[in-house]
Amino acid sequence: MKKVKTRVLVVLLLMIAPFVLSANGTNEQAPTKAPTNTAASKITLNVLDYSDATAPGYEEFQKVWQQFTEGNPEITLKKEDLTNEAFHQKMAAYVAAGTIPDVMYMYPSGRSAVLHEKHLVKDLAPLLGSDFLKDFLPAAINTDDQSGHYLAMLPQSICYSSVMFVNTKLLKDYGLSMPKTYEDLKVMVPKLKAKGIQTVLMANKDDWVMQSCLFSTIAGRFVNKEWINEAKEGKVKFTDPEFVNALKFVDTLYKDGVISRNTIQLSYGEVPGLFASGKAAFLIDGDWRQNAFITDKSSGQALISPEDQKNNIALVAFPAIPNEKYPGVVSSTLGCGYGISSEIPAGSEKEKAAVKLVKYLYSHDVQKLYLEKGKYITSRTDVVSDQLEPLTTKMMQYYSTIDTTCYVLDSALDPSVYTVLNKVLQEIGLGTKTPEQAANEVQVAMDAYLATKASN
Amino acid sequence: MVIPSFVIYLFVMAFPIVLSLVLSLSNFSGGKIFGSAQWRLTGFQQYGKLFTDPYFWHAFKNNILVVLVSVFGQLPLGLFFAYLIYRKIVKFGEFWQGILYVPSIISVVVIGIMWNLIFSPYGPLSEIVNKYYSLSYASNLSKIIAGSIGSQGKLAISDNLIARIIALNPQSVASTFSNPQVELKDLLINMANMGIPEIQADLTHLFAPVWSTSFLNKEGTAMIPILFVTLWCWTGMYLILFLANMQKINPQTIESAQIDGAKEKSILAHIILPELSGVIMNAAILCIAGSLNSFALIYAMTGGGPARITQVLSIYMYEKAFMGTPDYPLANAISIMMVAFSLLLIALTQNVKKRFGDQNE
Repeated sequence: MKKVKTRVLVVLLLMIAPFVLSANGTNEQAPTKAPTNTAASKITLNVLDYSDATAPGYEEFQKVWQQFTEGNPEITLKKEDLTNEAFHQKMAAYVAAGTIPDVMYMYPSGRSAVLHEKHLVKDLAPLLGSDFLKDFLPAAINTDDQSGHYLAMLPQSICYSSVMFVNTKLLKDYGLSMPKTYEDLKVMVPKLKAKGIQTVLMANKDDWVMQSCLFSTIAGRFVNKEWINEAKEGKVKFTDPEFVNALKFVDTLYKDGVISRNTIQLSYGEVPGLFASGKAAFLIDGDWRQNAFITDKSSGQALISPEDQKNNIALVAFPAIPNEKYPGVVSSTLGCGYGISSEIPAGSEKEKAAVKLVKYLYSHDVQKLYLEKGKYITSRTDVVSDQLEPLTTKMMQYYSTIDTTCYVLDSALDPSVYTVLNKVLQEIGLGTKTPEQAANEVQVAMDAYLATKASN
Repeated sequence: MVIPSFVIYLFVMAFPIVLSLVLSLSNFSGGKIFGSAQWRLTGFQQYGKLFTDPYFWHAFKNNILVVLVSVFGQLPLGLFFAYLIYRKIVKFGEFWQGILYVPSIISVVVIGIMWNLIFSPYGPLSEIVNKYYSLSYASNLSKIIAGSIGSQGKLAISDNLIARIIALNPQSVASTFSNPQVELKDLLINMANMGIPEIQADLTHLFAPVWSTSFLNKEGTAMIPILFVTLWCWTGMYLILFLANMQKINPQTIESAQIDGAKEKSILAHIILPELSGVIMNAAILCIAGSLNSFALIYAMTGGGPARITQVLSIYMYEKAFMGTPDYPLANAISIMMVAFSLLLIALTQNVKKRFGDQNE
């Protein structure tokens, strides 16, 4: 009996031991103990990165991190690569647990708003220094469009969420010209349909695509940033005619057949292949979509060959919309970038290691590599290359044609509001909601958000 | 030696459930780190929100559909196939056994993506059906056009030709042109210099009937592909379960019945089913629990969309917990409701089992 009791006790102790040894409290209190890492010992940085293993150039991008590790043997990187919703959920889980990574990929607002607004990440301006930051676009270091209004992260690029990719070969083959107005686009519909070709392709199965990649631009043509800011304060309403007109235009796009209702069943991964194979004359997506078409260096394959990129593809903004108030406006937002956790003690070796990593990631050579591989168009002003694929060069030229930008609505509105907007835009596409009903639902969500904000 | 298992059960099973229940009765929203209000119990506030939330009931309705198809689809089909193989009514039983079981071992995410592509407007299903429609239309159109070719091999445009083209598919012409008679005539005049095959091809593209998978966007029919794939995916698992238990039945029992003149129907009803009644009931419980939790397949296929039409409780809970502004108490309330529904359905099953008896006992 005694032996049994002893064995039970041992088993219990063995089961409890892992919990005791791993329990280390919360990270909410800044550690007051002396730094455990001396200059001679290794420093470990936990990194959460947004990285798609299936995207072209993935292997080369991973080498960038390997090179840092090889060049800095005193720093160990524990890196986690996630993408899309998996990334956002993991970040949300880390934030909820109070264990955010030391260096993390983050958005200027939107899904990363909590990191900015709760100051969970450091102000990079003093850490990187003005000497380093002088080589970046003024827009990139302008903190107005970052949620917390400080340099929580350094945008790697300026992101234009609405680009119309044009298959100019199809237009030429069928005697059509580049549309300057919506009417030009509308008259193409039966002519393209006669050849078995869609007019505009979009991956509308994911509800954010219509909102981010087209509706934000349409809304920007009817209401400007100031109007959206006033809506966020309850001074104007989404049920006002200006905003409803923007929603009505989305309804018109579907009714005129410019965008087929079938696009609501097209998944995000399916659409690049369809456009590349000539199923549609136009594709509307974000500027990041160019990565799907350029050459993957590891396989040497490209959905659209560099020659076709040069000769048969053009990038333009959505044509002029009837009754628009702000012509030529395109939605844009600061691109994503890296931030450093506020939990790292100021002045510590760990902080220095994190700053070293961030400076490396934004260095001239790394940014040039990313530019050449088509990852994004860098916000560094001193990077040029003669190795760019034609589509990337065209994208840089597209940027230069945009004079005025408007909000990407999911970076400006609270998630409780833009998730409703995403849904009602799909319902307009399905024909199950009128633009007025959609506007009403968005306003209800905004009213609820304002009420919660007022009570807190 | 029960204590170690009990301790594991406490930490792994009981604690999360209790924590989930407590969170659902509170106002937890991330704690201090979010600058939130002081954590406190708020009672059944979240449950009140759920009961008045139309999206919750919509997701619940979809879940019930999945449960019904699982219990009244997977089990009877699995039993039927197992019986056919066990009684050697079909040849190559082992082959069919393997083929029907394969979907169960493939990752549900892969299955979801695969079927999503199959049902895509550009997928193989649409391509095959529309190819048939367009060939059929083209054939009818060519007969009409053949009678309207002028002396120089060009199309002779007449009101009669236009009327006959419209009559082939009036709906499609009306959706393309607001004034079909006039606009179609204009179109044909513009095509006058084109070759006859090219004119036929263009008219076919414009007016041939198009089968679209738009039923995937409609409230009443969007769940059909999901239910079909649910059936396809897991019937094999129950086939194996039932087949394994059928093989435990004493073959002499069946031989005696056959000698006494029993037909297959009687053997199934009076020997096989009674012997398997306990297994069927247990399989029903597994089925109910599994189908109420279904997430991966539906998320991979539709993401719960479009516009939440195919959303089930697990996806609704996921959306509330992780997307947009997290609402942890509401998400936990949904998970508790899922547990409650599972227990209710399992209790109903046990009641049925008691009433009709597990004839193995």
